[in-house]
Amino acid sequence: MSTIVTDIAFKRELVRLSGAQLNQCMQCGNCSAVCSLAPAERPFPRKEMVWSGWGLKEKLIGNVDIWLCHQCGDCSSYCPRDVKPADVISAIRQKSYQHYARPRFLGKLVSNPAWLPLAVAIPVAVIIAILSLAGTFRIPDGPVDYSSFFPHGLLNATFSAITLLFYLLASFGIGRFWKDMKRQTPPGEAGMKRLPVFTVLGEILSHSNFSGCTSRKPGRYAHLLLFYGFALLILVTLYAIWATFTDHYPLPLTSTFKIMGNIASVMIYTALGIMTWQRLSNKKVFGKSGYSDWLLLAAIGLLTLSGTMVQLARFGNWQIAYHLYFFHLVAVWFVIMYLPFTKLGHIFYRTTAMLYARSIGRK
Amino acid sequence: MTGAATKHMALAVCTGCDIGRCIDTDQLIDATGQAFQGITCIKHGSLCSPDGQAGLRRTVMEKKVDRLAVAACSPRVMTSAFEVDGLLVERVNLREQLAWVMEPGHEDTRMCAEDQVAMALSKLDAIRTNDPYIPDPVSSDILVVGGGITGLTSALEGARAGYRVHLVERSDRLGGYAGRIHKLLPENLDSASLKEPDLYKLVSEVTGHPGVEIHLETGIRSISGEPGNFEVVIENSQVSTLHIGAVVAATGWKPYAPDKLAALGYGSGRVKTLEEFEQYVQEEQLPNRIMFILCAGSRDEDHLAYCSTFCCGAALKQALYVREKNPGAEVYIVYRDIRTPGFQEGFYKMVQADDAIFMTRGVVEKVDDQGDSVAVTVSQSLLDDLVTIHADMVVLATGMVPNTTTDLQLQYRLGKGLPELEYNFSDSHFICFPYETRRTGIYAAGTVRAPMDMEMSREDGAGAMMKAIQSIECVKRGEAVHPRSGDTTWTELYMERCTDCKRCTEECPFGSYDETEKGTPLPNPARCRRCGICVGSCPERVIGFADFNINSVSAMIKAVSMPDEFEEKPRILVFVCENDAYPALDAAGMNRLKFNPFIRIIPVRCLGSINKVWVSDALSHGYDGILQIGCKPGDNYQCHFIQGSELNEKRGENLQETLETMMLEPERIRTRFVEITDHHGIMAIINEYMEEIDLIGPNPFKSM
Amino acid sequence: MDNPIFIIGGGISGITAAVELAEAGRQVVLIEKEDYLGGNVSNFNNYFPKLCPPSCGLEINFRRIRSNPRISFYTGSEIQSICGSDGDYRVTINVKPRLINNNCTSCGKCAEACPVERPGIPGGKSVEKAAWIKNGLAFPMKYTIDPDVCKREECGKCLTVCDYDAIQLDAQQAGVELQAHKIIVATGWNLYDPAKIENYRYREEADVVTNLEFEKMLAACTRENQKLSRPSDGRLPLRVAFIQCAGSRDMNHLPYCSAVCCSASVKHALTLEAGYPEIESEIFYIDLRLSGRNEKLLKVTEGKERITLTKGKVGRILPSGKENGVLLEVEDIDNGTKRQELFDLAVLAMGLTPAPVAAGLKENEYGFYVAGQLSGIIPTATCKRPMDVSSSVKDATASAIKAMQG
Repeated sequence: MSTIVTDIAFKRELVRLSGAQLNQCMQCGNCSAVCSLAPAERPFPRKEMVWSGWGLKEKLIGNVDIWLCHQCGDCSSYCPRDVKPADVISAIRQKSYQHYARPRFLGKLVSNPAWLPLAVAIPVAVIIAILSLAGTFRIPDGPVDYSSFFPHGLLNATFSAITLLFYLLASFGIGRFWKDMKRQTPPGEAGMKRLPVFTVLGEILSHSNFSGCTSRKPGRYAHLLLFYGFALLILVTLYAIWATFTDHYPLPLTSTFKIMGNIASVMIYTALGIMTWQRLSNKKVFGKSGYSDWLLLAAIGLLTLSGTMVQLARFGNWQIAYHLYFFHLVAVWFVIMYLPFTKLGHIFYRTTAMLYARSIGRK
Repeated sequence: MTGAATKHMALAVCTGCDIGRCIDTDQLIDATGQAFQGITCIKHGSLCSPDGQAGLRRTVMEKKVDRLAVAACSPRVMTSAFEVDGLLVERVNLREQLAWVMEPGHEDTRMCAEDQVAMALSKLDAIRTNDPYIPDPVSSDILVVGGGITGLTSALEGARAGYRVHLVERSDRLGGYAGRIHKLLPENLDSASLKEPDLYKLVSEVTGHPGVEIHLETGIRSISGEPGNFEVVIENSQVSTLHIGAVVAATGWKPYAPDKLAALGYGSGRVKTLEEFEQYVQEEQLPNRIMFILCAGSRDEDHLAYCSTFCCGAALKQALYVREKNPGAEVYIVYRDIRTPGFQEGFYKMVQADDAIFMTRGVVEKVDDQGDSVAVTVSQSLLDDLVTIHADMVVLATGMVPNTTTDLQLQYRLGKGLPELEYNFSDSHFICFPYETRRTGIYAAGTVRAPMDMEMSREDGAGAMMKAIQSIECVKRGEAVHPRSGDTTWTELYMERCTDCKRCTEECPFGSYDETEKGTPLPNPARCRRCGICVGSCPERVIGFADFNINSVSAMIKAVSMPDEFEEKPRILVFVCENDAYPALDAAGMNRLKFNPFIRIIPVRCLGSINKVWVSDALSHGYDGILQIGCKPGDNYQCHFIQGSELNEKRGENLQETLETMMLEPERIRTRFVEITDHHGIMAIINEYMEEIDLIGPNPFKSM
Repeated sequence: MDNPIFIIGGGISGITAAVELAEAGRQVVLIEKEDYLGGNVSNFNNYFPKLCPPSCGLEINFRRIRSNPRISFYTGSEIQSICGSDGDYRVTINVKPRLINNNCTSCGKCAEACPVERPGIPGGKSVEKAAWIKNGLAFPMKYTIDPDVCKREECGKCLTVCDYDAIQLDAQQAGVELQAHKIIVATGWNLYDPAKIENYRYREEADVVTNLEFEKMLAACTRENQKLSRPSDGRLPLRVAFIQCAGSRDMNHLPYCSAVCCSASVKHALTLEAGYPEIESEIFYIDLRLSGRNEKLLKVTEGKERITLTKGKVGRILPSGKENGVLLEVEDIDNGTKRQELFDLAVLAMGLTPAPVAAGLKENEYGFYVAGQLSGIIPTATCKRPMDVSSSVKDATASAIKAMQG
């Protein structure tokens, strides 16, 4: 027995973020029926739609189901009222990022275009500060050598530290998230199994959950490309960090990891290309693409692009090499440091949700 | 049994469609000629063909035939081919009910054909034509009772069609509930804004039309008479009499009594009905949280079992009122189903575009005025298992209850108003004939007839007016209305033998009979639908029609030659009602199912028209069984005269006593019901009955 | 004397308008594009809420037509053009070639002799000859030959067996010009095309049928005294699913509600329940729209164990693989589960769309005709908006009085 109090402000936020007339949902259940990921017990996203309709924030934030959704868009595609449940779920996720963001102001920072200048200013200021303290904040002469601008050791140390700091802070939010999930969707009589890490890892690596989608088939391949491209780049980056210690850095073009890195870039370009094209051409399924969607696509795109340019600039000894490098580092900040607070945070949230869901037998 | 043939009798036998291959038509003609002296007989290979028609008409003219039996196909086909002005024609069904279904060349088939022809000729001998009954004087004016949206529309449509209409309204203004509406659904149901009420346009068209005479603050003292000739006494500041041809009763509805909804919180100042809220919203300030509870006291066996049709749309409309008047308000709607059929679906979607309107399915368990707010407890909601929602005001979407029509003050023996059927609606209960009234010439329209919204009420008013006009035009031609449209016979009573038992009066479904001061039945032929139930009801056999009466059917019964019990050729008399059972028999014939040759079929207007004297005639004549087949009675009755089948069944119970005193088995008389599509079923009924009769053996009175 | 009132469409609405007007004293001309009067409802099994047969009312109406000299009608005819104005129209109709004339006595010998077979037509059997008569109540009660498939003089077998000079194999299409005072448009409805709903696999699955097809299946069973059999293997379907709002209330298909389908499916379920003790029915709905007194039908289902009403729109029909059946996927909202279940037969409750006619009428955004825009041309019943039979009859009666005005 619960008392229902409407939260029209929250509802309107969801409407704004999703661009969906979610109030026009007639609760037919078609969305849950066509969703290939909806579990047999209390499927989604119909119930999320009526909860959104009443602004029931406490049922939506901390809801495990919205993370089981892989944004395939079948629900929106077949919705008879055209109320775009996929976008509403996406909007709830965005509100979740902000809700669980620790520190909170970082969540706000990347969710509103008005804050973009500040979001950019912070990494710019921090990098300038580091470089100034290191005394290297000037354009060096001679052939392009990034370490003379930003020493690798310093770069690795500071950036790793800041990343870990942000992630640590974010983990408090994720802990809160886990508790909320447990409260909203408690384990049944079966109780909780041990964390099914390998099951979830398997699902993620195979992208098996995407395969049921009929509306956005290219989306699966795009995401696969992006995922593995990204993973590859992380691997390359880690190798690069190690390489700086062993003085094998910078890597020649023929280095295996360099090649892998460039292949990864191509994968990412392809993926982003497909994703952008889908967003622009298939409004029915994709609905409104909002700030956070474009911000992420732009950030990853610019990161990869700037990385390629930085590479080219080194080989070509371009004048603007260090400017590109600076830009690249800001892009890194957007993608890596801000990760838990942007749409990329789904890496943490969805994984956590899947772990929780599978551990209580929610399939 | 020989019948004296008048010199104007003729028999035309068609040998086409396998009739000639099934029976020896020459033999048939011979036998008939012997039984009916002086009769003219002709034969043709195809009576319906141009050649056959020419020959037939030639014979009729030359021999001055005035009674013609046509032994050919079913009377339901080739109808106009055998309709000749001034000629009494009786069709003998030798095709669908003989040639196509009985064994060709067999003796029993021959006997059946001869009997059916003899029956037809005996009937022709016993019947006559009559002059149509036309009331005098006859009025073409129409009375519309009720000046709401239905009555207004009805009056306007009638006036526009060229008839003079008297519109009588009890209150001092026209418009009814529709006149008190705040706003209307938009013309284009997708558009965002509600329409201003426009009933005033209809009112001004009605008041401005020269064909409509309006009587406000007027009640009806009495309506007596019959269609075409109603005497209506009305009373306002004075008493006056109108001479009226037909009546449209549009007396409307009232809201369901909200005091019965205490369980939903009614009684608290914060809980209102739809009608109360429609006024409230025009006059008062609105609070910030308003909840609408749909189906309040509807779809509920403890209150109104039916759905009132208009309330979902009305509640959604009122939700828009709230939002318009108080932009800061939130509206909550709890529903069981949202019933916005047709294009209203667009309106539903449009209302939902306002995100301050919150909707959920749910069942309201409790409405509790807690002083500062009303707590509504809802189970089976889509939000959670059991929820409580707080509101400042609750609107119960209450349903509509029809008014009665007793205000018509019909001076009919059977009551002052139209009979009320399911849920007290004055309706016909026919799907194909929604206006078919039980009081001829008086048509219910609008919400008094069925739950409906304003648009439907307008259409209903127009339709009822059409029926009113039609009934006047039919009465002016002396014709019956549906279902025996065009019938110009009418009830003729031999009052000398009447014992004033008044069974005719009570059993007539249409209230055709009134009573004189002495208590004698008084027929009003224009009210009559010519079903013949009164013919069947009268123990003294006083009532009949020119072409369907006690003598005509008795003659048919006795025209059948009766083999004795040793010949093992039973004779079963089968009365079939002409509406559902006869067509089912024809369909059996079309499908070439096998008929038992021992049956002798007499079509009747209704099972209710069967008089028990025919039963005793049949039994004493030696029939082994009497089977009566007609349309289904009961709650979902299909009987076109409403209670004919039911009456027949009831009378059957009394007949059982007669059978007992005659020491006859109860199986000798049976009533069975059939649907028109059930041609397999009707065959099964007949065959099973034959088996029953086989078991009990022949009628002991056969050879007496 | 006024010109006659012209009625386009010989279904229940057109017939009603015709008899009501004729009995009120007006001359009426009725045209119908099929070979028989009766329209869509004449192929139905029964009506809601009384579960009574349509031919009961049609029989009375046909009797009224037969006996009324003021009604003339043309079957196998369609409008070619309408000229003129309110009160004075000139209507040209095309009468399709009448290979069997009025001499026909419906003896049936032509159909017996006819060698040409083809898939059935509305109102006929599943396989029909070129010479055929409507199954059930045929009005007019005459055989007809389909001019599109008849081999005409090349074959001529029917000519040899007809004793009534009723066959004219060289008959041509005829044009007829008629005057009309007013025109009532009662052209009725067709179903929305179920193949457009890809998710329901109507073309791929033999056991997914429309509500109209199911109606005809039941009617055939009543007529032939046979048991219901499902299309794929002829077996009795033990579990029947009714899928409401199939392509209705749907921005991707028909955005409006067709008003009658909920009542029709409940009626079907009750019909099955009464006639087949083995069959279970489940109705999947969004809202149960049985308005007015049709609510009673819902009450009747309450006690019936073999009828289940489930809130939840069926999202998909999936290929059933090795099992022979219809695999549905739906959220059972009240039980809070998502079900993927096999049924033996699925009936799609399809919505109504207006049958088009060239009468110069304006359409609203849903394609239905708007009343009141042309004073002399009066659309009525289901070509105006979806409605049930008694509402159609009511509306046709209302259109009759409008035709008597001005």
